[in-house]
Amino acid sequence: MDVENVTALRQVPVSPASRHFSLMRATLLSQVLGRVGSGILVLWAAITLSFISLHVAPGDIVSLLIGEQLRTPVIEAAIRAEWGLDEPLFSQYLSYLWRVLHGDFGRSYILQTDVATLILSQILPTLKLTAAALVVAVVFAVISAVATAGLRWPRRIAGAMELVLVSTPSFWLGIVLLFIFSFTLKLFPVAGDRTFSALVLPALSLGLSLGAVIGQVLREGLERALEEPFALTVRSWGANGLTLRLRHGLRHAALPAVTLTGWLIGNLLSGAVITEQVFGRPGLGKITVDAVLGKDLPVVLAVAILSAFIYVVLSTLVDILYLLIDPRLRART
Amino acid sequence: MVTRRGFIGGASVLAISAVIGVRSARAQDSLSPVSGGSLAWGVETEPSTLNPHLNGQAKAKLILRNVYESLLARTADGGYVPWLATDYTISDEGKTYTFTLRDGVAFSDGEKLDAAAVALNFRKLKEATYSGSISAGHVSHVVEALAPDPRTVVLKLDTIYSPFLDGAAGIEIISPKAFASQQLKSGGSEIAGTGPFILERYVKGQEIRFVKNPAYNWAPPNAGHQGPAYLDEITYRFLPESAVRTGALTSGQVDVIEGISGNDAALFKENPDFTYQSAINTGTPYTLYLNVTHGPTVDVKVRKAVLAAIDVARVIESVYRGERTRAWGVLTPADTDFYDKSIEGSYGFDAKLANRLLDEAGWTARDADGLRSKDGQRLSIEIVQSQATLRDQRDVLLQALQAQARQNAGIDLALNYVDAGTYADRQKSGQYGAIPNSTTTQENAVTIYFHYLPRDLGGSINYSRTEAPEVLAWLRGAASTLDHKERFDIYSNLQRFAILEQAYGLPLYVPEDQVAAAANVHGVRFRPFKHLPENAYNIWVER
Repeated sequence: MDVENVTALRQVPVSPASRHFSLMRATLLSQVLGRVGSGILVLWAAITLSFISLHVAPGDIVSLLIGEQLRTPVIEAAIRAEWGLDEPLFSQYLSYLWRVLHGDFGRSYILQTDVATLILSQILPTLKLTAAALVVAVVFAVISAVATAGLRWPRRIAGAMELVLVSTPSFWLGIVLLFIFSFTLKLFPVAGDRTFSALVLPALSLGLSLGAVIGQVLREGLERALEEPFALTVRSWGANGLTLRLRHGLRHAALPAVTLTGWLIGNLLSGAVITEQVFGRPGLGKITVDAVLGKDLPVVLAVAILSAFIYVVLSTLVDILYLLIDPRLRART
Repeated sequence: MVTRRGFIGGASVLAISAVIGVRSARAQDSLSPVSGGSLAWGVETEPSTLNPHLNGQAKAKLILRNVYESLLARTADGGYVPWLATDYTISDEGKTYTFTLRDGVAFSDGEKLDAAAVALNFRKLKEATYSGSISAGHVSHVVEALAPDPRTVVLKLDTIYSPFLDGAAGIEIISPKAFASQQLKSGGSEIAGTGPFILERYVKGQEIRFVKNPAYNWAPPNAGHQGPAYLDEITYRFLPESAVRTGALTSGQVDVIEGISGNDAALFKENPDFTYQSAINTGTPYTLYLNVTHGPTVDVKVRKAVLAAIDVARVIESVYRGERTRAWGVLTPADTDFYDKSIEGSYGFDAKLANRLLDEAGWTARDADGLRSKDGQRLSIEIVQSQATLRDQRDVLLQALQAQARQNAGIDLALNYVDAGTYADRQKSGQYGAIPNSTTTQENAVTIYFHYLPRDLGGSINYSRTEAPEVLAWLRGAASTLDHKERFDIYSNLQRFAILEQAYGLPLYVPEDQVAAAANVHGVRFRPFKHLPENAYNIWVER
């Protein structure tokens, strides 16, 4: 039935199609506006929640900034004045919102640098890492699912392997990968973000466990699709098993996997902390952890805004991907 | 003019290569150094700021010292030798310090090093808005910083303050232009120094690279050689994981690493392809400080019982496989100026004594777990350890202490690892049983002041929270005399009082630095007096 639907859509006569498009544009506009609106709401909520939770967490900012160094009223006053901490909390919050609206994210309490510059200098390595890890995850998932779906022994072996990967801490996986491929075989460098080859091991250690999760979901979806009547139809056209799996089955199986992937990319961002640490890579991960522990509010808030923004973009992308993958959804809008 | 202990004229070059604790420095002096080349050094700690004034991390010093220099350098026996200053005098009443600056020294941004620049550094450091807590340290005693002529700096103090020379001589001098830079607080290439290297590139989270300063010609006489550095370039890579640093060195991806775990040390010690050196730190040992104002440790008998209940020597030996030194006093043995070694062996493990003291203190009942109790209350001491300083297998060490205290005397040491915020709160409120910690690089006994002055008088890390009047009187007495012997005796009394009489803390082990290098890397060494890894000035690579 799905196959027929696709052909039907392609064969719509011309004039109703143009009407259809203008209708689509109107709904698209309202959809975009809705997206932007909810995106702004999410951003505001992220800022507010981070602000509140950092202030609720133990330890006041001045104590943390002074640490175990000498502390006198003069020093405390100087620190409060420097960072505007002497104002009431609510006006600190409002003035922060006001400055963010003007593109000023403030200065890091601890690192003493401009937050926007700091984040911009660190975002690229993290994005590179997460993107590479995502590629690793998707390639791994697709290969493992397509190659083993519906086959009794291969799927058991692949399933077991995936289980091991999912339950392996990425820290440990990173060390093992380094030990084998960097320290012993000397194929890849250990540290930093200098060359493409330096990206390989971190991407594997971060991406494999994600790929294992997606692979399992994808395989189940693929197996379900292969049992549906259309599979028989495609086979009757004389298509071989691989074509069936890649061109038709995967499309059916992809929806839940795409949803899961979109959701798991958030995990990639937080998992990057450990991978960056092990491989001595620059990136947002360590900066964020240090900022949260040290109550470095401007950095924490900027990271919160950034991650909320990434989530909004991702969920939009996932929705668009739905439309690309499943024409039935296109017809409904 | 008062004592100028060990100050050695500019001409007499010292050949000090002996550093305490160098365990396997191979014969490498027979070769003659070659200039050129680059080197990669894997380090554990990334500097929180590159401004040397504001950076308090002992582990960042080896990096920052490539660029920033100070007025005098220290020798292994605790003396001073010329560096940016060729001479110094202390006035008879002990309150005026005069430094004569070396001629012809320039910052890498082209500014001249003159008296005005040095005086400006001291004046800026006094501003709380610039330097925060540092403004309350040594420089707080400076009333005036004057530059009567381009080569003479005069610092006038409000009172006699004996640790001042060590503090002032060690302050890094940055270019006067730096104070107008946007980078002032975070540090960076605009914050110029006079050192043998110039900061070229800093990639946060990855590495920091320095290039040779070709104009450099003012090394201290004990620096190993004169003139520019041997290396053209040095890169420090940040590798926070110990296993990764080890692997990076063994696979030849870096040439030198620092921070080597007890388990990995043998890997480099036994292997002719590498050299391995270690040096114990100055400052205080890793010590379990017992809170005298909260919980069962208010009672001196309980505190003494804790000291007697734990077999420290055995615990250290088994946890660190013989790679760490057991500690005894309020300072580490590396603090050669004021460490009184008569404390060694004067107390120790004695289970019988521990149990007798606890019986006397009324902790006679035993609960279901075999732990002592009194009036239904368990003898429980909460150890609050900050996650941030939990390194060097200290979690294993604390567990071993816990087992010993329980087994030998029925004391419950409850371990609580906390985040920075909770740690700051507990410090403020005093709600903890014990805090274990160590400090490094606060030499010249200054660290004693931070640990034993009352909290509101500058004892910022007074973990035992003692406010004993005799301790305060001693500390004030020692600070206001320039007589070394007198200071030594006072700190010695304080040590016996704090450890033997009052049991404010149980010293556990002496923290140390370790450096391993590929065998073709020469000139890696520790600083003669402070025992931290030295900068890259004297390092050269054999090809």
